[in-house]
Amino acid sequence: MNSKETQYTRRSAGQWAVAWRRFKKNKAGLAGLAIVASFAVLAIYGLLLDPVPARSFGCLYQGCTNLPPFVDSAHPLGTENSGIDVWNEIIHGSAGDLYVGIGATLISVVIGLLVGAAAGYRSGVSGAVLLGLTQIFFVLPVLVIILLFAKIFLFLVAQGLALSLIVLTLGIFGWPLFAFIARGEILRIRELEFVQAAKSLGASGSRTLFRHIVPNLLSPIIVLSSLAVAANIITEVVISFLGFGDPTTSTWGLIIQEGFDHIDSSWWVAFFPGIAVVICVLGFNLLGDGLSDALNPRLRE
Amino acid sequence: MGSLLNYIIRRILFAIPVFLAVSIITFLVTNAAGDPVQIVRLGIRNLNPAQLKAIQDYFHVNEPLYTRYFLWLADLLRGNLGQSLYSGSVAGKVVPWIGSTLELQIPAVLLALAIGIPIGIYSAKRQYSKSDIAVTTTAIFGISMPTFWLGINAILIFSLYLRWLPSFGAISPYPPWWWGNIYTDQLAHIIMPLSVLTFVSLAAIVRLIRSSMLETLRQDFVLAARASGISDFKVTYKHALKNAVTPVVTVVGLTFGTLLGGAPALETTFGWPGLGYEFVLSATILDLPVVLGITMIISAMVLAANIVTDLVYALMDPRVRL
Repeated sequence: MNSKETQYTRRSAGQWAVAWRRFKKNKAGLAGLAIVASFAVLAIYGLLLDPVPARSFGCLYQGCTNLPPFVDSAHPLGTENSGIDVWNEIIHGSAGDLYVGIGATLISVVIGLLVGAAAGYRSGVSGAVLLGLTQIFFVLPVLVIILLFAKIFLFLVAQGLALSLIVLTLGIFGWPLFAFIARGEILRIRELEFVQAAKSLGASGSRTLFRHIVPNLLSPIIVLSSLAVAANIITEVVISFLGFGDPTTSTWGLIIQEGFDHIDSSWWVAFFPGIAVVICVLGFNLLGDGLSDALNPRLRE
Repeated sequence: MGSLLNYIIRRILFAIPVFLAVSIITFLVTNAAGDPVQIVRLGIRNLNPAQLKAIQDYFHVNEPLYTRYFLWLADLLRGNLGQSLYSGSVAGKVVPWIGSTLELQIPAVLLALAIGIPIGIYSAKRQYSKSDIAVTTTAIFGISMPTFWLGINAILIFSLYLRWLPSFGAISPYPPWWWGNIYTDQLAHIIMPLSVLTFVSLAAIVRLIRSSMLETLRQDFVLAARASGISDFKVTYKHALKNAVTPVVTVVGLTFGTLLGGAPALETTFGWPGLGYEFVLSATILDLPVVLGITMIISAMVLAANIVTDLVYALMDPRVRL
């Protein structure tokens, strides 16, 4: 009994080890991982060390407003019209945007997995209801609704909380896709031979679900999560760019908006934070693609 | 054909509860902002009691929420979108811009499809070749870019630096026209937003067609077709493409929805007088009836696009009609 158990554990660890070995060979995926890790470091650096406070107007009194990039080493990417340092905003913005991207995705994953598992485990009416719900969320102009929510939140509540409320809104509107995928995967995996085999060997319902079904369900969810973080970051940038975000917290969209207002005099204020957005989102997309290749080898060769 | 008709009817009937659910959600969200009277007061300080009473009566402020919803829904179904909080009717503020939004969105989707499908096939046929790597790299950058930021860069280069194209609006307000007359003027205005929108949707479509085609080309029926001596061109474009393109149809339907939803940022960047721009302007001043009207119109458009997509899907794949 004991030897069988260890054998089983080794094999299930092996599944992820194999995936990691495959992932390591994928240069694009590794680049994605490196990019995501660097932004995480940047965000933590900004949060913990905080060398220059976010949105600091210090330059306004030192005459270094509207400074072009690569001129002053104290302000490598230049300063904005009212003296805000662009590079410093990118550092502080990465904390804000990663918070929105990852936080909202986590909320979506949790709700999506719960709803999807419930619907997948008891197919029938609940399946039809879930299908209808996902339809509603596909039709809802989600961005428009989120903008509306953000505006109303900002109108109603304290501004410092607004970013967390955006996280919540994005999370709540992002779950249907996860539920849809989770339900489909559960319905598929449930009928596979190894699950039938486990059941016929007398595995309990919860053991079948958590040891056999969930690990196989995780790979599409992980891949989708990485892509969802990318999409959520873009949505957040759009929200702040349109002026519906929290004006007191640094985000990339906010500084792009400020740059766009003075686009004819200082192009760098909108340009460099945009580069940060593209690289960060690219990182999550590459990571997602790499994970997809590593976890679903069927699609490779 | 009977089954197809049946499918269409079922699909349209299914759209009704979805539309109602969407209307409930949007109505609740807009009502969360609170009393219209308070919002009007933000703009107009000294309302006299008669004006106050008129506003309260018009928006049925003293009725319970569900009564207000049904009153609003009844108006909506009769085609009456109500009055703006500031001036004029909602319909007057919204309807003129539907056309200019579609004028931008529909060509973008069609262009992206026309360019994206051949590129995706080409890339899948030469997997891991230099041209495939160039295509996939460009595509992943394309999907990683906020559309509006690409628009800002286009404005920087083509309007501010080169001064080739106008950066704002759909038409010059007064002469001189760009490139001579009023028609070329409109053309000059649409080039940048249309190219930016096309590029971003193109990236998504290329990635989709490529991966779908890769999967299809590996299937047994393709091998069987090749084995029976059918030419490579015919196998690719007739046998494989037909199967690879079906999942793309669904995504194009969804993309259209995302495009319409994503319109606010792009339209604001280019000052394009569309629904998205009007939405941003109205939401900024909390003109809730207008916001509600635009949201419902966009939802209805997305729903219609989804039904059309499903029909195309059903025509292409008979199994769906069952």
